[in-house]
Amino acid sequence: MTMAPARTSAQPNGQVARTPADGAPPIIETRGLRKAYGGVVALDGLDLIVPRASVGLLGANGAGKTTLIRTLLGLSKPTKGTGRVVGYDILTQGTQLRQHVGYMPEAEGLPSGTTAADFVGHMAEMSGLPARAARQRAADVLYQVGLAEERYRLIKGFSTGMRQRVKLATAIVHDPDLVFLDEPTAGLDPQGREEMLELVERIYRTMGIAVVFSSHILEDIERICDYVVILDNGRLVTSQPLAGIGDVQGTLVVQIEGDLAAFSSLLVERGYQVERGKDDMALNDLIVHFTDDEVYDAIRDAAVRLNASLRSLRSGSRTLEDIYLGDVGAMREAQDVVS
Amino acid sequence: MVAPYQSASDTRYGEVFDRGYAHYDGKLLGRRHAWWALTVYSMKRAMGIRKSWTAKILPFFLYLAAIVPVIVMVGVTAVVPRANIAGYANYFGAIFLIQTIFVATVAPEMLCVDRRENTLPFYFARSITRFDYVFAKLAATALLTMTLSVIPVVILWLGRQLVADSPGQAMRTHLDDLGKVILVGVLLALVIGAIGLAISSLTDRKAVAVAIILVLFPILDGIAGVAYNQIDASWTKYLLFIDPNAFLVAFNATLFPYTSDSAMIQDANWSDTTYIIYMAAIVVACALFVRWRYAPRD
Repeated sequence: MTMAPARTSAQPNGQVARTPADGAPPIIETRGLRKAYGGVVALDGLDLIVPRASVGLLGANGAGKTTLIRTLLGLSKPTKGTGRVVGYDILTQGTQLRQHVGYMPEAEGLPSGTTAADFVGHMAEMSGLPARAARQRAADVLYQVGLAEERYRLIKGFSTGMRQRVKLATAIVHDPDLVFLDEPTAGLDPQGREEMLELVERIYRTMGIAVVFSSHILEDIERICDYVVILDNGRLVTSQPLAGIGDVQGTLVVQIEGDLAAFSSLLVERGYQVERGKDDMALNDLIVHFTDDEVYDAIRDAAVRLNASLRSLRSGSRTLEDIYLGDVGAMREAQDVVS
Repeated sequence: MVAPYQSASDTRYGEVFDRGYAHYDGKLLGRRHAWWALTVYSMKRAMGIRKSWTAKILPFFLYLAAIVPVIVMVGVTAVVPRANIAGYANYFGAIFLIQTIFVATVAPEMLCVDRRENTLPFYFARSITRFDYVFAKLAATALLTMTLSVIPVVILWLGRQLVADSPGQAMRTHLDDLGKVILVGVLLALVIGAIGLAISSLTDRKAVAVAIILVLFPILDGIAGVAYNQIDASWTKYLLFIDPNAFLVAFNATLFPYTSDSAMIQDANWSDTTYIIYMAAIVVACALFVRWRYAPRD
């Protein structure tokens, strides 16, 4: 039997006990993964190698995100292809795999007539923990998700945000190597969403559990993930690190109402490289190359000195939105040409 | 705030401090442990344990209804030894309705609630298979029903021996009866429990499942009895097998002395092995049916 990658040593109260090691084996590997429901192809020949990371699984509704998660959990048999998750074969080692992987389903599905501690403890036992350890873990994990005080209350009295936290607690109660979170912010109000994102970020950064975060909200993924897998109509659009996006170096596109040449000169005097926009539509744009965040002060100072109005200031770097729109658009165009 | 995290050095009196996250480094037990955990949890939920007191009322009264006849039968036998009302077959016949009501209480609780509240994705994401889930529910239903079909009748057996002139001698003499009552109790629990589960797998509404289970057995009993009495044909002897109450009583009659008022049961001349095989087939068929209901639809 092939064993999962060794877990690093447990450190009680430690901040990061399972940091991703250089050269660590990928948490997800698939080859030619295909899933069809009759004539409808939900996953179309996915070849993936995903490193241990906080992974964003991005795609529109119906792109195949949930199908991919269910297939990777060994719950849905692929029509074709193979895959391994945390070292376990998705076709033949489903039950062992699920002992080391957590899953937070998108659908609302908690038993209303039980307490959070009871249900989370039961889920821990169902993942193989002995009864006493399961109760202890349930209390610890409910504390970690912010439900320490409410754990003995019936779930039917919980708000949507609290229910999402209980679901999250069931997904991590057995201390998995990897957790799949299927649209964890769905249905939450802005504050609830913010808190859920903070929690998800903690799961990877502090608890050291690799995360696959499924969402169709670019902003959420850009904020908490360092690797992204984009799906469109069951096809893989891209699978790449998000490093560099949102960094403090890159380009800024500036539009002012005033003397462009003088504005440009002032920035050059401060040591920045500046050029004019090249497209016909962007002739009034100034593209400012920068390596630190003092560039914003320099732009402000130049505008004040020339008494110019700052009309627009935006990042010239490629954002996740650019990647999504560009790559998905290119793929769809290519498909149109073929068809 | 998500949780009041703070380093220990920053804490002031009365503030909650971050106790950090500790990884679980104990052992993970396997699939069999998960299966047993589900079985035990399902039994507790069905009996109303860790639920409000109202959920415990019906099981309590059903146990009372099953035990009281035993106490009465043993008591009467002790006072009037020749009364001969403490027959095992009589007892099984008398508690069939109680068993049916008990299964109608327990079986829908096992399956309908999980479907209705959409809890299944949580279970199937654990280290069990769909078959394990179904098998755990069947085991939980059967074990609970056995507490009603086996324990009282074992008490009855014990009571009958204790009121004898020589209890020790009586126990040794009637040890084979103990084996038989346990066999009947187990089969009764398995058959009614499996049928109850199969019906419960058809709907996510508990009330609907309860109603179907409660009316099914009397309806089958009525159909088989009327058809047997009205139709004059050789094949009517098989009608016994569509009536669980009748074939359980007929099976009892092959093991214990019993006189039935029913012509269909009086005329039944099947061997005990035939009944056992038939009941085992019912249990397997019901289990496969429930498994099919829980098969992935993709």
